[in-house]
Amino acid sequence: MKKEKVTEAKKELRKKAGLFSLLGLIPGLGQVLNKQWYKAIVLWTFLILLIIIELSTSRYGFASAELANARYGASVYPVTYSFMTPDNTGDVIYFWRDYGGFILSGIWGLFSLGSVGPGSKYRGFNISVEIQEKLPWTRFDDSAYLLGFGLITLVMLCVLVFLWVISIIDSYKTRKSILSGKPTPTMKEYLKHTYDNMFAYIILIPAITLMLIFTIVPLLFSALVAFSDFERGTRLFHWGFKTFNYLFENASLLKYFLDTLWWTIIWAFMSSFTVYSVGFLHALVIESKYVNGIKIKIGKDRQISLFGKKFWRTIFILPWAIPSMITLMMFKNVFNIDGLANEILRNIRMGQNMANFLHSIGLYGDTMFPISWVTKTNSGGLARLVVIITNLWLGWPYHMMLITGVLATIPRELYEASDIDGANGRQKFRYITLPQVLISTMPSIIMTFSFNFNNFGAIYFLTGGTPAYPNSDIGAPGQTDILISWIYKLTFNDNTGYYARGAVYSILIFLLIGIFSVWNMSRTKLMQEEE
Amino acid sequence: MRKFKHTLSGVLVYLYMIIIVLIILVPVVWMISATFYNVKSLAAIPLLPDFSKFSLEKYKWLFTFKQNEKSALPDYVQAFSYSLLIAVINTIGVVILSTINGFAFSRFRFKGKKAILLTMMLLQMFPTFMSMMAYFLIFRSLGWINTINGLLGLVLIYMTGSIPINIFIVRGYLRGIPKVIDEAAYIDGATKTQLFFHVIFPLAVPIIGFVAVNAFMTPWLDYMLQNKLAGNNFITIAVWLFRINDPLSKDYDPIAFMTGALLLSIPIVIVNFAMQKYIVYGMATGAEKG
Repeated sequence: MKKEKVTEAKKELRKKAGLFSLLGLIPGLGQVLNKQWYKAIVLWTFLILLIIIELSTSRYGFASAELANARYGASVYPVTYSFMTPDNTGDVIYFWRDYGGFILSGIWGLFSLGSVGPGSKYRGFNISVEIQEKLPWTRFDDSAYLLGFGLITLVMLCVLVFLWVISIIDSYKTRKSILSGKPTPTMKEYLKHTYDNMFAYIILIPAITLMLIFTIVPLLFSALVAFSDFERGTRLFHWGFKTFNYLFENASLLKYFLDTLWWTIIWAFMSSFTVYSVGFLHALVIESKYVNGIKIKIGKDRQISLFGKKFWRTIFILPWAIPSMITLMMFKNVFNIDGLANEILRNIRMGQNMANFLHSIGLYGDTMFPISWVTKTNSGGLARLVVIITNLWLGWPYHMMLITGVLATIPRELYEASDIDGANGRQKFRYITLPQVLISTMPSIIMTFSFNFNNFGAIYFLTGGTPAYPNSDIGAPGQTDILISWIYKLTFNDNTGYYARGAVYSILIFLLIGIFSVWNMSRTKLMQEEE
Repeated sequence: MRKFKHTLSGVLVYLYMIIIVLIILVPVVWMISATFYNVKSLAAIPLLPDFSKFSLEKYKWLFTFKQNEKSALPDYVQAFSYSLLIAVINTIGVVILSTINGFAFSRFRFKGKKAILLTMMLLQMFPTFMSMMAYFLIFRSLGWINTINGLLGLVLIYMTGSIPINIFIVRGYLRGIPKVIDEAAYIDGATKTQLFFHVIFPLAVPIIGFVAVNAFMTPWLDYMLQNKLAGNNFITIAVWLFRINDPLSKDYDPIAFMTGALLLSIPIVIVNFAMQKYIVYGMATGAEKG
């Protein structure tokens, strides 16, 4: 009952304060009327800063003179931005392009991606790399540059809008407390209070700025390139779904994509499964009761153990301690036709038998020794096997270390109780060790899977994606290429440079693996934490 | 009988472990022994080391070779110094950023804290690869590729990329330091900056050391970004190693690769062994950025 009355009064208050806060649509007005002009000054400082940036980088001062001198007379009409094709540029003056400052020309660039290509004619000038003295707009538009800086502008504007929204909320709150008769804090109190509250924000500014520029802008950039037709050699590109359509209507490209996707999934699954299970096995072996070493007594009470657990563990983690890039490039030499793998087979005189065996199970297309492990078009299966085996060699020790740690945390009582119940070793493993370890390492298994899904190095440094598919053309994936290494080649190789295609595939990868990772993240500690 | 069974199992376990050790050591020993042959082809490297042919020519070559018209690659020492430059600047930047950020996130309550942390966690899920095209194209538009700016821009990318994971590591560590210490310092009249420099920073030295070593090691073996952004004028050690080991390159010399790689790996292997506990901990607490 009582509650309702309070709500009535409060509703009235809220309505008034709410109406008042609408004044905040003019930045800072709410604060001034609340007699908190010092707050308004903060907001205005940002606004003025933005205006100064805009004006100091603009050429508005030259606009009227230059436009009056335009040779086209009456046919000239300034436009703010245009989606017109560059063919029409003879008649059009892009006002924001030629005169706008950082902010407005940035927004123009983001929307139009530039309109004046190299070699075209614009306002009576030949457009080229060279800038005419005093006329910066005679330089051609570079869409990538415009997109990048347009995004930075957009982020800056977003920060300002964010502050503005906060100021409106703040004016609403202050008005409410004024209306309900509470005293407003004085400026001095406010400043001290703010400094105390803002300290954390202030010291976070460098990190957040860096992340905005070097993480968020590039991610947006890459995502947006997918909606364009950008390839190497194009200075000027345009918005549209051309690339999406092209990739999914072209049967051979779709087939490449699906083949590579399928192999990526198999690879991610197999590589994670093998390293995890071998790591598990070796953790059990090292921790087993058989590995005690030879105890040697030194002096009275001290004894050292030769070939004990510690000795084996130290050697076992060697593959983990060597940087994986070096390991992978080393295995590139191991599986070279002149490399160690063939050398061993030659020394134990098994070369021809191995070649025949690999041929008979369909992995190796020839029966020739020395075996070319990763280069023959007809031996894609062998190359894939080699990639998984190499990953196993360098990957299992990490999981062994992880699982050894988990094994130590399983309560001894569980095993003692099962001993009393007469369980044998296999049952103890099946019903105690396995479930306990799986539960504790589940997040790490999922992380390994998503890491391997995008494990660029494991493919690129070892095989570089070879062998190629039979009769494949430029930009096609190899048989061991996973999506990410294929995209790398598609984007950055000397004879490719299909940026938009690479971006489309990147988005698809992210959709596939991102959902998985978000789900994994939602189960982490941080999500459940208070604060 | 039971004892016999036990002994037999023990022998089998040891045999198995010896086989594993062989699988681990044979490629490593083969690589190390290869560096002592003064040849240019893998075919000349036998399985078992042939000590009569050993020489230190490859090592000598690494340190005396100078770039010339015939080779596209710079000398090893030059490449090494570029990587060292990136690593040093990166370490300084990361240490400053991660300590103050860790301080903010462990010591203060402020609005949006959880939102910022979650956003950072979300952002680090995107592989660096996805942003790479943007880095490359923006750097190219700015004319930074092939210049020292590209190299320095690379440092900013590494620094930014490591912010989230380092915040989680340092924050986790600092939260273990009781807040009573802060209160005592405030009662004695310390300001927040004083608290940071005179109390928190000295206590955080071990974790800062860990973060610093990580930051120092990251840039040495990142091929993907360095190959594209630093360009051909600033070939770093990772790019150098990849190119000299590329059969399609005219500088192809796998033995020189193994020599260079060995010299680079030895310090890294030692650091990894020394820090194995911390590194496994770090990997388990936050997802590693790949």
